[in-house]
Amino acid sequence: MATTLDRTTDFAAHLRELGLADDPSRRRALDRFLELGIPTSKNEEWKYTPMRDWAAVSFEPATEANVLVEDLPDLPAVAQLDTHRLIFVNGDFCEPLSDFRGLSRWADLMETPELIAEAETTQNPFVALNQAFSRAWTLRVKSGAIVDKPILLLNLSIASDRPIAAHPRFAVKAEDNSKAKIIEAYYGLRGTVFTNAFCSVKVASRASIEHIRIQEEGDTSFHISTTKVNQQAESTYISNNVSFGALLGRNDIDVWIGGEHAETALNGAYMAFEDQLIDNHTRIDHAKPNCHSFEVYKGILGDRGTGVFNGKIYVHLDAQKTDAKQSNKALLLSKTATMNSKPQLEIFADDVKCTHGATVGQIEEDQLFYLRSRGLKVDEARSLLVYAFVSEVLDKIGVREVRDLLEARLFERVMAVYRQEPKAP
Amino acid sequence: MLQIRKLHAKVEDKEILKGINLQVNSGEVHAIMGPNGSGKSTLAGVLAGRDAYEVTQGEILYNGMDLNELDPEERAHEGLFLAFQYPVEIPGVSNSYFLRAAVNAIRKHKGQEELDAIQFMKFIREKIKLLDLDPELLQRSVNEGFSGGEKKRNEIFQMAVLEPKLCILDETDSGLDIDALKIVASGVNALRSPDRAIIVVTHYQRLLEYIVPDFVHVLMDGRIVKSGGKNLALELEQKGYSELEGQLAKA
Repeated sequence: MATTLDRTTDFAAHLRELGLADDPSRRRALDRFLELGIPTSKNEEWKYTPMRDWAAVSFEPATEANVLVEDLPDLPAVAQLDTHRLIFVNGDFCEPLSDFRGLSRWADLMETPELIAEAETTQNPFVALNQAFSRAWTLRVKSGAIVDKPILLLNLSIASDRPIAAHPRFAVKAEDNSKAKIIEAYYGLRGTVFTNAFCSVKVASRASIEHIRIQEEGDTSFHISTTKVNQQAESTYISNNVSFGALLGRNDIDVWIGGEHAETALNGAYMAFEDQLIDNHTRIDHAKPNCHSFEVYKGILGDRGTGVFNGKIYVHLDAQKTDAKQSNKALLLSKTATMNSKPQLEIFADDVKCTHGATVGQIEEDQLFYLRSRGLKVDEARSLLVYAFVSEVLDKIGVREVRDLLEARLFERVMAVYRQEPKAP
Repeated sequence: MLQIRKLHAKVEDKEILKGINLQVNSGEVHAIMGPNGSGKSTLAGVLAGRDAYEVTQGEILYNGMDLNELDPEERAHEGLFLAFQYPVEIPGVSNSYFLRAAVNAIRKHKGQEELDAIQFMKFIREKIKLLDLDPELLQRSVNEGFSGGEKKRNEIFQMAVLEPKLCILDETDSGLDIDALKIVASGVNALRSPDRAIIVVTHYQRLLEYIVPDFVHVLMDGRIVKSGGKNLALELEQKGYSELEGQLAKA
């Protein structure tokens, strides 16, 4: 396809423009991206997520010169919460807006260009692309530190009339016995943005990380993210992954459980209305015995919205006594909404407990009638049921203020759906 | 309060109600008894406005309004209440949120001010004692993980809170042990008043020992075949529905 070729050469030109083309590791990463190419529907991992619309947009590289702090619109409400606040604008650290006094006792943030040199032989073209362009930031949570309040990595994307591409890159290193809650949030403030984020998380022995991910990009934007997690013995990793925004949102979360007695939870909530598409691909590798993983994803799809869920669980030969539970459920609010769901369990050990369940359905008529028979108007009853469906996942978020904020946002969106619809006959 | 005239209704092309006539006045308690499949629950469902039931003939007047013209929520606003035979579980919606939304929907309709969370808790404190319900149930999701008895008590609790004019109890006694039955019955009796009517739909006479009806109607094959006072229930208990059926066939 001609457009595909144009786009990849675009990125090669960007690398030269930005003066990064002389860096051998960045060039290698770009070559890898060019080699892998833009995924088509022939690629099983991208079968239901067409990149056509993305490929039709010409993005400019995001540079610091794009944005002046004083020109920024109001910040999202999450910025007002009591956190260690680290703000990034189009992938670059914005110190004037950040507030991390007191963080150094527990953690530090460093720019780590050497991460780029770690360019791996990735199969994911967007990870390769990220490595060609990103500035890498490492958040290290010190050994034994129990961080007093959540650490917010707030990414703001903002474009003028011309679409831009940003490539945030984070590495979280939770050292032994540390404990932290990290909020990695993406908010679109203006314009069309392609956010291509890559975050790696290392959870050392007996460390515990709650990783809250919020995606609220603008409605013409593209958000692609890859999260790679590596867990050591007796560690805990909880992912709460919320996607409410973007025209196309794709999240890959890969967890490697490389130590015994580790706990993993992957929770996901998403909404896709109008022509939105939200794709969640998760993979959990149980490589060691005696580990537990719990996964629940729930989504609401309305209008012509599309949802994709692909959940892989690999239980390696060694991983006896694995307990893995997976469930994914979607609620369809219109006849033109679509859900593509594929649980994938591959089990090589013989003494394990693994379950999975997938449902795609509509609002239960019995529940609707019950609420109406007590006086709730039909739209109010519908909204309440839709809200309840997803809030069950949001309830798992361990930072109360974030949970309240997201539940309020969910409620607002769901109420708006039925307010716009003509009354049922 | 309620006049049902020559009511016919069907479910999926099957006619279930075949000409019901019934008049219920304020202050009265009516029992509708009948064997399984006689149409008791269909009648309750038609009165509450369940979609699956289609009224094909006849009319239902409720305080002068054509009930068939009203949506289920409008019926609730006008003071009609159905205690479900199988109360529905709604994960993710707390009992207290749900009930407050219901109370406020009805208050709004009456032009009264809505209650905030604190006013609401005060308002329901007494009622929850009446049904001997664990206040902790208010924080749980609607009916989720409730025992059979808790679900039924929760229905009557909702009824006590919403203070309807016409209460319809659909097989509220099914699945209750004798202690739960007494609690439910005392909850219902506390609501008896001259400006309220109650229709008790039941298979067995047992509940009627505790909620003593003014009138008893026997429903068979979609029609009311016999009406009488409270003694009719006892008579049915002794003779069974089949003997009555036989008598009617001869007559």
